[in-house]
Amino acid sequence: MKKYVFKRILTAVITLLIITFLLFTLVRIMPGNPFPSERMTDEAIAAKREEMGLNDNIFVQFWNYMKNVMKGDFGKGTSLYNGAPIKTVLGKSLANSFKIGGIAILLGTFVGLVLGVVAALNRDKFMDVFCSVVSILGVCVPAYVFLIFLQYNFAYKTTLLPYFFDSRRFFESTIIPSVSMSLFTMSTIARFTRNEMVEIMDSDYVLLAESKGMYGSKLITRHVLRNALIPVVTVLAPLVVDLLTGALVVEKIYGIQGIGKLMVDAISGEGIDYNYVLALGILYSALYIGIMLIVDLVYGLLDPRIRISSKGGDK
Amino acid sequence: MKKILCLVLAVVMLSCLVACGSENGGEKTIGVMLSTNVMSLDCNLATDGDSFEVIADCIDGLTQMDSEGAAIPALAESWDISEDGMTWTFHIRDAKWSNGDPVTANDFVFAWKTAVQTNEEYGYMFDSSVGCVKNADAILYDGADADTLGVSAPDDKTLVVELEAPVSFFDSLMYFPTFYPLNEKFYTGLEAGTYGTSGDTFLSCGAFILDDYTPGAANFSLVKNPDYWDAANIKLDGINYQVVGSSDNALTAFKGNSLDLVTVSGAQVAAVKDDKDLSSKLKVTGAGYMWYLSFSQTEKNAQGGMLANANLRLAITNAIDRESLVENYVMDGSLATYTAVPPQFAASATSGDDFSGDQTKFADVCSYNVEKAQEYFEAAKKELGKDSFEFTMIYGNNEGDEVTKVAQAIKEQVEANLPGVVLNLQAMSKAERLDKMQNDNYDVALTRWGPDYADPMTYLGMWITDNANNYGFWSNADYDQLIKDCTTGKFVTDYDARWAALYEAETLVMNDAVIAPLYTKSNANLIVDGLTGVDFHPVALNRVYKNADLTK
Amino acid sequence: MTNYTEKDFVLLGERDIQTDTNFASQPYWRGVFKRFFAKKRSVVGLIIVLVIIVLAFFGPLLSQNGYRDITSVKDPETGKEIVARGLDPQIPWLDKLLGKEADDGLFADKTFLFGTDDLGRDLWTRTWYGARVSLLIAFVTIFIDVIIGMTYGLVSGYFGGAVDSVMQRFVEIANSVPRLVIVSVLAIFMPKGIGLVIVALLITEWIGMSKIARAEMLKIKEMEYVLAGRTLGASNFSIIFKDVLPNTVGPIITQVMFSIPTAIFTEAFLSFVGVGIMLPECSVGSLIEDGFNNITTLPYQIVPPIIVLALLMLGFNFIGDGLREALAPKLDDM
Repeated sequence: MKKYVFKRILTAVITLLIITFLLFTLVRIMPGNPFPSERMTDEAIAAKREEMGLNDNIFVQFWNYMKNVMKGDFGKGTSLYNGAPIKTVLGKSLANSFKIGGIAILLGTFVGLVLGVVAALNRDKFMDVFCSVVSILGVCVPAYVFLIFLQYNFAYKTTLLPYFFDSRRFFESTIIPSVSMSLFTMSTIARFTRNEMVEIMDSDYVLLAESKGMYGSKLITRHVLRNALIPVVTVLAPLVVDLLTGALVVEKIYGIQGIGKLMVDAISGEGIDYNYVLALGILYSALYIGIMLIVDLVYGLLDPRIRISSKGGDK
Repeated sequence: MKKILCLVLAVVMLSCLVACGSENGGEKTIGVMLSTNVMSLDCNLATDGDSFEVIADCIDGLTQMDSEGAAIPALAESWDISEDGMTWTFHIRDAKWSNGDPVTANDFVFAWKTAVQTNEEYGYMFDSSVGCVKNADAILYDGADADTLGVSAPDDKTLVVELEAPVSFFDSLMYFPTFYPLNEKFYTGLEAGTYGTSGDTFLSCGAFILDDYTPGAANFSLVKNPDYWDAANIKLDGINYQVVGSSDNALTAFKGNSLDLVTVSGAQVAAVKDDKDLSSKLKVTGAGYMWYLSFSQTEKNAQGGMLANANLRLAITNAIDRESLVENYVMDGSLATYTAVPPQFAASATSGDDFSGDQTKFADVCSYNVEKAQEYFEAAKKELGKDSFEFTMIYGNNEGDEVTKVAQAIKEQVEANLPGVVLNLQAMSKAERLDKMQNDNYDVALTRWGPDYADPMTYLGMWITDNANNYGFWSNADYDQLIKDCTTGKFVTDYDARWAALYEAETLVMNDAVIAPLYTKSNANLIVDGLTGVDFHPVALNRVYKNADLTK
Repeated sequence: MTNYTEKDFVLLGERDIQTDTNFASQPYWRGVFKRFFAKKRSVVGLIIVLVIIVLAFFGPLLSQNGYRDITSVKDPETGKEIVARGLDPQIPWLDKLLGKEADDGLFADKTFLFGTDDLGRDLWTRTWYGARVSLLIAFVTIFIDVIIGMTYGLVSGYFGGAVDSVMQRFVEIANSVPRLVIVSVLAIFMPKGIGLVIVALLITEWIGMSKIARAEMLKIKEMEYVLAGRTLGASNFSIIFKDVLPNTVGPIITQVMFSIPTAIFTEAFLSFVGVGIMLPECSVGSLIEDGFNNITTLPYQIVPPIIVLALLMLGFNFIGDGLREALAPKLDDM
């Protein structure tokens, strides 16, 4: 087990390093002028390139960059917010995104689990149909459409909740974005849990348990639920990633200063900010790899049946 | 294992739910929409109107704008101008930075010297085309030492500025953020680049203090500065800024009372006008910048320099129905424009008349007149020996809702009114459009220019030979001479003669149809009942809140 | 030994246990078809997708307006140009048929099934034009899945060993970069537009498929018939594509069906953010954004694109579900 954990972490770190290098190289060999401006002269641009060390050897640049990144310094933006140092922006943005994303994931997982379990226990009855309607809706409609709907109804038609994210009313402000983001998670988990439960309830060992005289809540909690929940952990990783993507538009529309909004600002503004793209690209990849790593490890912990081969962790 | 998991979950859950405290500011706090992110609060890095607005809320210049846009004393209590108009002496009043330091003349000297070294976009405000500050040209373009800039502080309360030529509107330049002071000790004490990136790294000496901010913040707030020199006359308790990208979102936020002052786009204006309740709150104000068509006159573009032919350009400019553009496509109260210098921003200091108040002054060369357009077109065809022309018009598809519509309408109008001309459309981002124009790689471009200061020169300076913003590569020796006379030559001391010469220069531009002016942009603002005294200006600072009050 | 009596047993309810009567006697594909069409859901999904395809291709023909045409008329009184902006849905001939009083506006004679948008463009045409973009994306996804993903997976699985190891490390790295990051880096190199969306899909979309194909290959390559083929001297190419491929079709089709909705979603999302399709072109995503930008003044404008998007997602998901169950039947379903 220890060896597996160590190996898995090592692979993750190496993968991240390779990706960082690739991103760095791609962003640095970009064509065109990274400083779009109406009034800047060619000399000014050349001077700025020199100042930012864009003329050095790529490995030297990467080494210098990584040294700074280790200190939490991602350099300055090329055009966004007029070149404010990225670290001044990043901290608060990360915090906001994590808080709202965290609530969304917890809410989605919890409600999704409850829905899935209830549906499975009432197979083909009302709750089951309700659950499948919810999961279809959640899968078919993008989070930002839900957000627009919620914003329109709960912050405009009735002014129960803030119309925009307001850091002074943090809690109320998180309701609309986190609920709209949680729906996709919720529907996926509900569907997955229900199917897992149904499969297990039909399986031979449950049948055996039933025939031994075990039924009711004891059977469900001890044999069905436990085994149904373990695989749910595996769907969480891709869900978190989808959430990150969904957060982009949600943050933009609801005016949340998070990393999603930063990303949208960096790529859809008048000029693309190379350094923000790079910094956020590294962050997102790190997050993604980190989440996959955690899920793998937790899965390994939870399910002793999983025999971890030397190639373990491949998914 | 389970317990640990539970614990972790609980901790995560709790940390997610911790809400920040602190209620909204005082009673007279207003919610204001910004349409884009504040790009920078460093007055030497900021380049856009929204940033300038917030900077000006927090920092005063030597002068500030009154409700009419004229310069009135601010940090400078008074000033003297030497007889030759070449030396301005400003007397600084007793004012304090928000960290308690007094505002001194040295803060200006430091700020200006920093500006000529680092301000890439607006450094030119100091040079001989605008501010004419002594030695600015040498520092900006020939690498002279910034210490030679013609500004000095004989004592803490006196600022002496030496000019290379008299600049009649120098006092009204002083309210532009490029000329604002910086507290040297504070600025240099910060890690490079972090000035103005949070409430702690920014100093205020104006009406409001930055409360809670990070770059790119979608919402942030300012609170009243109790130590402001004119605090007694500031009635607002604070401003909550909210960045709203979609103007429809702005409208709903306004209707839902989340915001008190918003700008809506043309599409919403019609709906607002239909709504009895809202229409009384609508206020259309000039945004300053003018949209126009730029024609490339060089050989390599437009089928071998076809657009170098003045008659062809005149034909196109007369074939455009500007009234239809503003009424059907822009729709926010923007003004159809028939002059190279747009109306509303530059008024004569002696007569008070708007430089371009009379939009019919070039009616014989620029109006919607299909017959005349076709006459010009016939002449052009004869001169060029060609019957059909095909050009490509580039425009930005991220420059506001209406630009795409306007481009399409122009195509239709020109093609319908000038049979034989084909105008293809090519959409791209603003950055790409600028890139193409700067590299002279286009036929026709739909572009815009906003005034930087309240003088026609902010436009007319563009069309001198070799100016970086002379995208058409038009060149006229008489014109160059006229502009030179107005900036550093014989007209600098005679205000009215200069004004007349500027008009003459504009005539040259219009007679040659160097550009085809289209419309001057307006902002359609919605202002909540009870909010009064917000000053709107088409130039420099778009909104000023120093006279604003909120009564409910 | 205890003797059980009836009292010792509790009836937990009846359970349907069917016996396998028809598995052996049915040809595989006929069974798949039968099982697919026996599910209400899959049929509904298929119908939805077919209807959208038909409308996307023929819908715009029903309207006299192009997707980027601005409808306008000259006001007979003032001679000014008036644009048909923000009209509610109107169908003059239907109104006439129903005996409704005709609207006397300037555009009374024009048909707009979904109304017009804020610029005076026909929403009906635009919606179906946008649907075409989504379908194009669906088609591209099939192409990417089959050509790149499948080939990659089959080759990697077939050769195994070092080849497989190297190819899998590559997949691992490619799989660790969120699509979002790929799009944003691409945005530096390419002009924003539909091309960018397609390239982004090209880079990311094949991964899932390659894993499925590899797993299938690993399973099948151990079978006797492959061994037989190899002993008889068949080339690698022929074994991969002639012998193994036909037997992996089931899971591959299912995977294709599930990756289509993701791809359509991605396109809609990117266009909404503003790096996808560019004006005056439109896609479902950009139409939703337009609708969002006019939600207070023209609230109906956002409805058609959302419904089309939701239906497309629903249709492909249903088909995918149906196929999965039809291709890999459990005993219960037979």
